[in-house]
Amino acid sequence: MGNIKRPVKVALHAMDERSVRTMTMYLQGPCKGVAMVVDDASADCDIYDGDNIHAKKLLADRLNSSSTRQVIVLSLHSVKLNNVIVVKKPVKSEDMLGALAEVKARLERDAKQEKDLQPTAIVTPLKKLEEDKPILKHFRINSGEQSKTSKHQTAMQINEASFNAYIGSLPGLDVNDPAQFFKASYNPNEYFQGYIQSAIKTCQKRDEILQLSTNWRQLILFPHNHELWLDADDKQLRAFAGVKIEKTIGSKMLLTPCKYDPAALASASDKFHTIETFVWKLACWTSKGRYPNTLDIEHPVYLKNWPNFTRLLITPHAMRIAALMVHEPRTLSDVARILNIKPQYVFVFISAACAIGLVGQARREADVLVKAPEIKPSQKQGLLGRIISKLRGSNV
Amino acid sequence: MSQYKIIFTGPVGAGKTTAINSISDTPPIKTDATASDMTKLRKAGTTVAMDYGIMNLNGGEKIHLYGTPGQERFDFMWDILVTGGIGLILLLDNTRADPFQDMKFFLDAFDKFISQTNVSIGVTQMDISTTPTIDDYHLQLKALGINTPVFSVDARVKNDVSLLVQSLLFSLDPGVEDVA
Repeated sequence: MGNIKRPVKVALHAMDERSVRTMTMYLQGPCKGVAMVVDDASADCDIYDGDNIHAKKLLADRLNSSSTRQVIVLSLHSVKLNNVIVVKKPVKSEDMLGALAEVKARLERDAKQEKDLQPTAIVTPLKKLEEDKPILKHFRINSGEQSKTSKHQTAMQINEASFNAYIGSLPGLDVNDPAQFFKASYNPNEYFQGYIQSAIKTCQKRDEILQLSTNWRQLILFPHNHELWLDADDKQLRAFAGVKIEKTIGSKMLLTPCKYDPAALASASDKFHTIETFVWKLACWTSKGRYPNTLDIEHPVYLKNWPNFTRLLITPHAMRIAALMVHEPRTLSDVARILNIKPQYVFVFISAACAIGLVGQARREADVLVKAPEIKPSQKQGLLGRIISKLRGSNV
Repeated sequence: MSQYKIIFTGPVGAGKTTAINSISDTPPIKTDATASDMTKLRKAGTTVAMDYGIMNLNGGEKIHLYGTPGQERFDFMWDILVTGGIGLILLLDNTRADPFQDMKFFLDAFDKFISQTNVSIGVTQMDISTTPTIDDYHLQLKALGINTPVFSVDARVKNDVSLLVQSLLFSLDPGVEDVA
């Protein structure tokens, strides 16, 4: 065995040329000084890629041979073989270093016993490696799915300059004035948003396709695939969203079972929306920069999880607000202050997030008394900002 | 000048190469090779070394975009790859038999790196397989004590990939502002 203070000499098996090169680089990197790749004849240890298609045979041949060299197997599976050191993938440096340390210890032990004992090759039949699980699931491709363009389209982003023009505002109300915060709420139930949300709840509860009959446009709800179909474009919806619905008209909105005729809607597949995407933008347009009256402006609120931003209308600073609120409950005014943004951006975001059930409000007194900690700026803030600038500049 | 990098990882066919291609300023160096075993079922070529792209920032800085090899058996490079990384983008293929298992595998594989930085998850192929839903992913993550961005992503669409990377950066620091 010779001097084992030197790096363990390893030979690589069941790896193609590229893998050998990469593994060699790896052993020269994180495992530098601990192991080195040598030719097969002068190695102390054999390393096998256990997931290679030839590994099973090569390893069986090796274990059935009279060689007493140590064996390391890299594998995705929990393989147990006598006298074989298994390093589970993904291989981490500490695991690999541990395996090499074990090899070294065995070499030292063997060196001591070399003169007294003749090591016997332990021949163990290679256990059948776990069969690969099926990697594809069985699903039925719905050929009409890709034609639902509005459902799968990427998010539309609006910037501060176009915010008021796109979202709208209310005359006589400055939602950014702290003195007017108490007036800056709205009741979703007084708008189309409330009727839609109520209809969705009923539809999901009854678990059947329902049609919302209004004096406006036809709307059909599909609970099984979380979709709705509306015979109107965004411009028309935006205008209707901001109109308060008189109770007398509201009572004329009827939710009735609907016999869905796919052929009838197939020609207008661009009018399908996922319910979440639809309710989100409807809430943005209903809010006009206000917050829903279901929230207490003085109590901290939090985000249960990140919204699926790639499929939602993105209002100014929405991602920053989400990143902040997903960690700690904060009052809406606190969020605006910390991020140094206009409160209307927080209000419109929270309206949309609230409409799809992502917002929770801290109700305990302790949550109000204990202020959420200030955020510590990252040391890489400048760099992160430049990357974001680059990403946004390259958006098309 | 410091070297900064963003790591893209995920199972075979999840769209790592395409995602890097979507936001890289230079044609990415592709190292795809002909697949010879089970990966053949998913795509004709697969990444056996790594993908690499560059984003050039104002002032001459470069952000290196690295994709990990798709076949897990080549993953002994991962430890080297993540050194100095800003954060991790995990892409998951919704048509795989068990995308949650994939998710846990990669979150576990990069747990140390994630704990030091952060991760954003993009779920691809949702137009082909609509389940599991994004909410389902959040439920799984909640059980693991992780609350991180999870978006539907079409890796071919620059805006989707851009938003996913932005979410990673804002997770690292919500105070970051666009410094155009």
